[in-house]
Amino acid sequence: MHFAVYIGYVVWLSLCSSLVMNFRSRRHIVVAALAAVLVVTLVSPPAAPAQGSLITAVQAVLNVINGVIQAALQAIASVRAAVGAFYQSVAWPVELIAQARVEVLQMMNRYRHLMAGILNINLKSATLPAPQALENLMRDHQINNFRGLRQAFTNAYRAIPPAADASPEDRAMADMDDALALDNLETLKATDSATDLELQAADSMENAAAQAAPGSAPFLTAAATASSIRSQALTQKMLAAELRQEAAKMAHGNELRKRGATFTLQLRGVLINLLQHN
Amino acid sequence: MTKRILLMPKRGVAWIRKHRLGTAALVLVLVATTPHTGNGQFLDPCCAMLAAGLTTISNTLSNVVGGGLHSILSVEQSISHFEQQVVWPQALISQARALVGQLQGTFNQIQALSQIPVNSATLPGSQQLEQNLLSRNPNQIAQTTAAYNAVYGTVPGETDASAQVRDLVDMTDAAAQAAMKRAIEIDSLADLELQAAGQITASVEEAAPGSAPILEAQADAWLIRANAYTQAATADLLRLRAVDLADSSAELKIGASSTANLRQGLINLLQHN
Repeated sequence: MHFAVYIGYVVWLSLCSSLVMNFRSRRHIVVAALAAVLVVTLVSPPAAPAQGSLITAVQAVLNVINGVIQAALQAIASVRAAVGAFYQSVAWPVELIAQARVEVLQMMNRYRHLMAGILNINLKSATLPAPQALENLMRDHQINNFRGLRQAFTNAYRAIPPAADASPEDRAMADMDDALALDNLETLKATDSATDLELQAADSMENAAAQAAPGSAPFLTAAATASSIRSQALTQKMLAAELRQEAAKMAHGNELRKRGATFTLQLRGVLINLLQHN
Repeated sequence: MTKRILLMPKRGVAWIRKHRLGTAALVLVLVATTPHTGNGQFLDPCCAMLAAGLTTISNTLSNVVGGGLHSILSVEQSISHFEQQVVWPQALISQARALVGQLQGTFNQIQALSQIPVNSATLPGSQQLEQNLLSRNPNQIAQTTAAYNAVYGTVPGETDASAQVRDLVDMTDAAAQAAMKRAIEIDSLADLELQAAGQITASVEEAAPGSAPILEAQADAWLIRANAYTQAATADLLRLRAVDLADSSAELKIGASSTANLRQGLINLLQHN
């Protein structure tokens, strides 16, 4: 770069020399010399900055780095360190997470078999063959033997009397009573089976809770809550069955009352006629 | 040759005297247009200071900024490691999702169990009432009264029973029918709850740790709703038993009234004889 500048300068000087030496008039020589100086002055590069301002600029940059930037980075590092410490000591302390898992395991060991044992105590008490068969079928938690249940029910409670042996009203009511009783016994067999599944699900969820992390526990709690909704739905279905049963029982009594009122009126009429004839 | 060289200064001086003005102009141009000297990269003090300044800035950036960023990086890596290993371990999250998928299968079985047909009636009238009661269809509630009356009869006419007995019969029938209708409603609601629980469980299977609590909140809301329905069913059961109790009391009252009437009738009969 500098070499090119000097070459250019030599060429420029040669050109000026030839011009100046070829001019005969003094005026021309002076004008050419001034023009050359003027041209070079206009196209020459600006002066370099002073050394003092460079030092100041470097020092200013250093001040920014050592001041604002360093302080900001230290603040960010300390905040992140505090967040990390908060996570590990307050929000998710590893010791407490491990302790919670151990507590889940301890409760599983303490209660699970105990409660299962209580629920599975044999409650059967019938002594005669027909009631025993019915009792066994009522409490077996199976849903594939409803036909056997109905047969055992009929064996224990007998069939609807034939038309020749009972009034239509009595036959209808007995059939309705038996039907609702059987419906509910079958519903309870299905509910017992569902209860078994619910208990299995609860065991699975508790097993998973014993190994869970804070980030995986919400899945288990959400699933457990959804399971609680199902449990409530099944409870409602049993309540509905109980409502039907109680309502049928009341309707039965009420039907007897209706017939009693009719019989009473008829008896009263007969008695009045009897007394009038006497 | 030597002589010619020795004469050159004399000739040059003579030439300058002869061209004084031109020579002066050339000297002026030479002085005025001489290129500025450039600053050397090694020996010039300005460049040395600039290099020293830049080196200082570089070192400061490395130590202060680089060190600070490295410190932040190590803290972030520590937090990230903690979050991935302790708070949200991917393996345990996948395991929990898999368990939810398995539970969904179990819950589908429970839902199927709750819908097993249990109809048992054998006579036409009782079959129709039973079908209505087990329909789980609220649209069937309108037909409950007719089916009920077909099995249990209607309220006796004015000529067939006393007003007291007719009131009692009507109230008891009303309570029994209301309970049966409520049972249909509760069955239907329970079916919908089972469906909703299935949907929530399916959503949980696809959820993230951050979205699972939202589904949990929704499930909690559904649980509250389910509790309310259970309370409504329990309330109807209590109502039914209250009516039953009042029914028993009314029987006593009617019995006492009938006994008094009978006593009076017998007295009249004896007096006539």
